[in-house]
Amino acid sequence: MMSGIPNSRWLFIAFVLISLAVTFVEDSINPYFFQVIIYVGINIILASSLSLINGFAGQFSLGHAGFMAIGAYTSAYVSSLIVTSTDGFAATALFPLILLSGGVMASLFGLLVGFPSFRVKGDYLAITTLGFGEIIRVVIQNLDFLGGARGFTSIPRISNTFWVFSTVALVVFVISNIVRSTWGKGFLAISEDEISAEAMGINSARYKMTAFATGAFFAGIAGALYAHFVTYINPSQFGFIRSIEIVVMVIVGGMHNIAGVVIAAVVLTILPEALRPIAEYRMVIYSLMLVVIMLTRPQGIFGTTRAFTDWRRKLLASFGAKGKA
Amino acid sequence: MRFGGLTAVNDLSFDIPDDGLIGLIGPNGAGKTTVFNMITGFYRPTAGDILYQEQSVVGLKPFEVGRKGIARTFQNIRLCPSLSVFESAQVAFARSINYGFTQASLHLGKCQSEERRVRDAILHILEMFDLVDVRDEQSTSLPYGAQRRLEIARALATGPQLLLLDEPAAGMNPSEKSDLMKLITRIREKFNIAILMIEHDMPVVMGICESIYVLDYGVMIAYGTPDEICCNPAVIEAYLGEQV
Repeated sequence: MMSGIPNSRWLFIAFVLISLAVTFVEDSINPYFFQVIIYVGINIILASSLSLINGFAGQFSLGHAGFMAIGAYTSAYVSSLIVTSTDGFAATALFPLILLSGGVMASLFGLLVGFPSFRVKGDYLAITTLGFGEIIRVVIQNLDFLGGARGFTSIPRISNTFWVFSTVALVVFVISNIVRSTWGKGFLAISEDEISAEAMGINSARYKMTAFATGAFFAGIAGALYAHFVTYINPSQFGFIRSIEIVVMVIVGGMHNIAGVVIAAVVLTILPEALRPIAEYRMVIYSLMLVVIMLTRPQGIFGTTRAFTDWRRKLLASFGAKGKA
Repeated sequence: MRFGGLTAVNDLSFDIPDDGLIGLIGPNGAGKTTVFNMITGFYRPTAGDILYQEQSVVGLKPFEVGRKGIARTFQNIRLCPSLSVFESAQVAFARSINYGFTQASLHLGKCQSEERRVRDAILHILEMFDLVDVRDEQSTSLPYGAQRRLEIARALATGPQLLLLDEPAAGMNPSEKSDLMKLITRIREKFNIAILMIEHDMPVVMGICESIYVLDYGVMIAYGTPDEICCNPAVIEAYLGEQV
């Protein structure tokens, strides 16, 4: 009713089925386009999971690439242990387990990072989480069984449109359900006024932990999907620039608007690719565009959920339909 | 209650009857809001105890006090700008709703029936506070008096036994004030709860409170019925200064 996306289990199922159907024709897609499509999916997962932490729960995490790294490395290590044959079917059957391992491990670290958020807020929390992300990267760089700085090689390539886009459907479904539910209103309450939320019996510490654990869980799964797509990962792929890119998607999409964040993730993934013909100017244009967006639409291109629902209500009214309450 | 060398509230002791309506008044800086913050767990008293239904609430976190059935409003309105009127009231049910994280995220199980129950309860309470028609408006875009009403509605929606109102009439015009007085009286009749109210507006306090405590410099200087208070020399002195 309020998240801008119709609350429909059917939409979720339809999306999963479409992604499954596309899987059968993915060999005929140009490999470059295919790669961009997969990156779009992975970025949607990252951005919408971060929107729960940075948007709805009002925290400020710059450590999302760290969670992604944990998911990527955990899953890569797990699959190096359990995926022994090159048989595609066995690998596919084990894949949910591999993805979960990445998600659960990232989620545990999410709880750990959630702790400082009880005392530290805003910019200070951003620095704390930034530090966490860097620690993760440096630690991995020095762990020999994970390949250290050389990276982790020969990860089986299992990710395809089905896995990536059913996760996209799941994460969007879950997060929009959460923020729409009465229980999930607690996130919005602590994000805007922790004191009045506490006075209404809302345990802000618990909500923050839930946001960090859930956000990190999906970031970990995104990392696992990424590792099993590129087949080679190294710590420098998960630097803080990566975290910043994800934060930018959330801000451009609108802090309280999951639909906006999804669109922003799509646009901001495709845009740098689409600008490739103009070579070295592309990052200038990309950055310039961000500056313009922030100057003209500081609330994000798509604004808050409210702006979106108001707009939809007006649209419905203009068609003579009855506006939804 | 001490802040460093400053004793903000000293040796204060009072009782609130189960269904009483008690006023707490005093000049600026007398320590009234500090009393509220101590009761609701935002400050921890440096000495003494606070009993609620024969149990101490000292040392509990604010949300734990809230769950025990003490709700409050704030002197400067605290509503969330991004939430609509309806959603603001919904926040009050966030902790009492009867399903967990998994069910909420997948929208399964008891979710739908619970959401329906909460929706009815919210509409009921908004109706009572005359806010139903504006339920989709942004909460902070309402007129001042309506924002105050929403804050009280939200506090009541948590189902408290004790309601603390911090200057509910502040900034209201005379007609809003008289509506507020009717509203508070109605709350008492319907919910049968105890109310402790800080208020500067004497007609409001004198009009509805059963008894009044007067604080000055953190010390209780008078206690009594409205009639006793308004002719008490100590109170007049605290407010207007000593006669020359």
